[in-house]
Amino acid sequence: MSASLQQVRETAWQAFEQQGLPTTRDEDWKYTDLSRISALLGEQWWQTVEQGELDVTAADIPELDAWRMVFINGHFDSETSELPAGITVTALSALIQDDPDRSVELLEFEPDAPLSSGMTAANSALAIDGACICVSDNTKLDKPLYIQYVSNGGTSHLRTGIQLGKHAEIEVIEHFVGHHAESGLTNHVTAIRLAAGASCTHYRLQLEAAKQCHAGRVEVNQLADSSYTLHAVELGGLLSRSDVINRLNASGASCHLNGLFVLASRQHADHHTRIEHNAPHCKSRENYRAVLDGRSHGVFNGKIVVAEGAVKTDSAQSNANLLLSSNAEIDTKPELEIYNDDVKCAHGVTVGQLDKNQLFYLTTRGISEEEAKQMLTFAFADEILAKMENKAVRRFIEKEAFSKLPNITDLEGMLA
Amino acid sequence: MSEVKVERKPEEFTHNEYEAGFVTDIETDTLPPGLDENVIRHISAKKDEPEWLLNWRLEAFRHWQTMTEPHWAHVNYPPIDYQAISYYSVPKSQEDGPKSLDEVDPKLLETYEKLGIPLREQEFLAGVAVDAVFDSVSVATTFKGKLKDAGVIFCPISEAVRDYPELVQQYLGTVVPGGDNYYAALNSAVFTDGSFVFIPKGVRCPMELSTYFRINALNTGQFERTLIIAEEGSYVSYLEGCTAPQRDENQLHAAVVELVALDDAQIKYSTVQNWYPGDENGVGGIYNFVTKRADCRGARSKVSWTQVETGSAITWKYPSCVLRGDDSVGEFYSVALTKMRQEADTGTKMIHIGKNTKSTIVSKGISAGRGQQSYRGLVRIAKSAEGARNFTQCDSLLIGDNCGAHTFPYVEVKNSTATMEHEATTSKIGEDQLFYCQSRGISEEDAVNMIVNGFCKDVFNELPMEFAVEANRLMEVSLEGAVG
Repeated sequence: MSASLQQVRETAWQAFEQQGLPTTRDEDWKYTDLSRISALLGEQWWQTVEQGELDVTAADIPELDAWRMVFINGHFDSETSELPAGITVTALSALIQDDPDRSVELLEFEPDAPLSSGMTAANSALAIDGACICVSDNTKLDKPLYIQYVSNGGTSHLRTGIQLGKHAEIEVIEHFVGHHAESGLTNHVTAIRLAAGASCTHYRLQLEAAKQCHAGRVEVNQLADSSYTLHAVELGGLLSRSDVINRLNASGASCHLNGLFVLASRQHADHHTRIEHNAPHCKSRENYRAVLDGRSHGVFNGKIVVAEGAVKTDSAQSNANLLLSSNAEIDTKPELEIYNDDVKCAHGVTVGQLDKNQLFYLTTRGISEEEAKQMLTFAFADEILAKMENKAVRRFIEKEAFSKLPNITDLEGMLA
Repeated sequence: MSEVKVERKPEEFTHNEYEAGFVTDIETDTLPPGLDENVIRHISAKKDEPEWLLNWRLEAFRHWQTMTEPHWAHVNYPPIDYQAISYYSVPKSQEDGPKSLDEVDPKLLETYEKLGIPLREQEFLAGVAVDAVFDSVSVATTFKGKLKDAGVIFCPISEAVRDYPELVQQYLGTVVPGGDNYYAALNSAVFTDGSFVFIPKGVRCPMELSTYFRINALNTGQFERTLIIAEEGSYVSYLEGCTAPQRDENQLHAAVVELVALDDAQIKYSTVQNWYPGDENGVGGIYNFVTKRADCRGARSKVSWTQVETGSAITWKYPSCVLRGDDSVGEFYSVALTKMRQEADTGTKMIHIGKNTKSTIVSKGISAGRGQQSYRGLVRIAKSAEGARNFTQCDSLLIGDNCGAHTFPYVEVKNSTATMEHEATTSKIGEDQLFYCQSRGISEEDAVNMIVNGFCKDVFNELPMEFAVEANRLMEVSLEGAVG
């Protein structure tokens, strides 16, 4: 007999009350002070808001041909959603009513999981909605599934589960968006399970409103020969922290994590990623880049753990950062933890400004210095976006990202 | 007749018995184990210290009592009972104070002979002044006269407290304050001896300065304190080498090294550390918890740390540079080897504060047997460090499938004109590399040595000649035939 939903909620709530929000005294939270959230949103910051009314189509990604699932302020909105046939897609709120036992599985709180915090516990205790996606063996969803989380302030706790059967295939686009002036919090957890040979492409686009806080967590468990690709984009929000935990649990599994931060003004974004090589012959690639302007603060912490016995591991990680303003700050920490000698692991980090030689080259070709700088900044960031296979998403993010940087004038020309 | 060939597994190669394992039997004047203010007063009185130093020690001790032992390092060891350690031990024959080498206890000299440090020969041949530390008191110092002519002060720190109290008071604890961290605070409270070096303005120290450390009496932790001051435009190269006799009990070693470089001064600090690493089951061995920090106070000053770490059961050491002066330079070159059950958590901190400061970090870790090794480094570029530059490379070589190699580099950049690069790789000795060498008639063992040597070359090149030879030999002996 597994624990009832009630029990799971209570345990998580107790853990949350005990732990509270992590502060910078915790090593994993050294550069990101989540306790600011209670200062920004008040003591009762965790209380969820009502659904309310919102024009959701305004936030859509143009020219994206996809199935739709919409959450307004953390509540599923069936009217604006268009669910696919052939796979099981339900809202968590419906699942809790119809099949509470299955919802327990999704909401279970693991206090000892890496990078788990009071925020994760709050999510287990308080998430009332989210997307539950099941794709059965050998099934491929014909179009991408677009999940929009739109908010206009206040707090929402969301939990999404994606489960793929053997050799199943899906492309999921999670889009966090808002245009309100007030502050709020999105506390979101995505749990992904890939059976043997399954393949999942996951876009996680954080374009929250200017004063919104965002706490994200993606947990991926992979079986043999499965493949997972993440495109994480951080553009919005005031204070944002995301943890990606990727476990390669059986031979032949592979993952690609791509990340791009484009931050300005006083934005703060933090990505902690942890890739666990738990089995032989797995491959991981990680590529994160940040462009920081204004007084923004970027944090990247990428950890790769190679367990004993995970022989023939092939892992590479790279993190490059471009500081455009003298007030911007980057803290980066690429970590390797290796317990086995038959591995190939490498990581590299760079922090710097635009290459003077490249600038010189362009200016000798009659391009103005200003324009040359723009081109190089664009090229720097676009290296990550170029990995996106979905053209509509890529074009959308390019526009959103570079419109943030004031010195890019001829964006259309560059995109053409 | 067929020859019987005994196949040696890689594990066997790395199990060499510690070569420098023996205990010299000398009477020592040792305090009973335990630590309280009386012990500190006793140490201070024994050394005839002025009031301010005693107060400084006591302040550090009181601060230490409020601190908790840090556990963030990636190492495992049983809890240390600080009350079970004896904090003072002097070789007895030292009490009368030998005036020259001839008066030194012949047994001491014999110990050095066994370790291949012919003190007398060194005097003539190597041109190296040796401030030999046997347990906690320096017993012989050579080349004093020659250094004195150049105006260089090189003496045990307790002597410096007596003879140059103003200098010591001016600089002691300004780089590593009394309450800096748990082990530094402990050291500040109970340090018994160490070296003091002062290079006056514009002087290029005429020879390499060298100290050989040895831990000898059972159950005595060794708390060395080294202070090196290089005045404007001066240069000094300092060598530190360590080896210890075999014993069963873990020994704590918490040293503090402070370097101060003023305008245009250069300090080169090299270490070869080969303390007893414990046996293959991890019994015994030295705990090496060291705080080393350099303060590049002056413009265009330069400090370079080079270390070869093959010994100790547990190493916990981060030689750092605070690059305060404009255009100052910090360098860190390290080779660390862990085998059997050794654990090392080592690296560096480069704090860029001044404009156009530069730092280079090259760290090579070799892990064999059940060794666990971590590189932990911090590169911090402050907002004021306009045009700062850092290059970091840390590579790990794994030998055997039970060892571990970890990398924890912290990078904090607050200035957009800064440039920093970090790269790290982890690999094992390639089968194809071995095969290539063997197919050319090179034995497996020699091939491994060759590859490891090549792997460490960038660091060994930075060592002074005398040490480079020793370091090479040390690696060969330590790794005898370790094949991946």
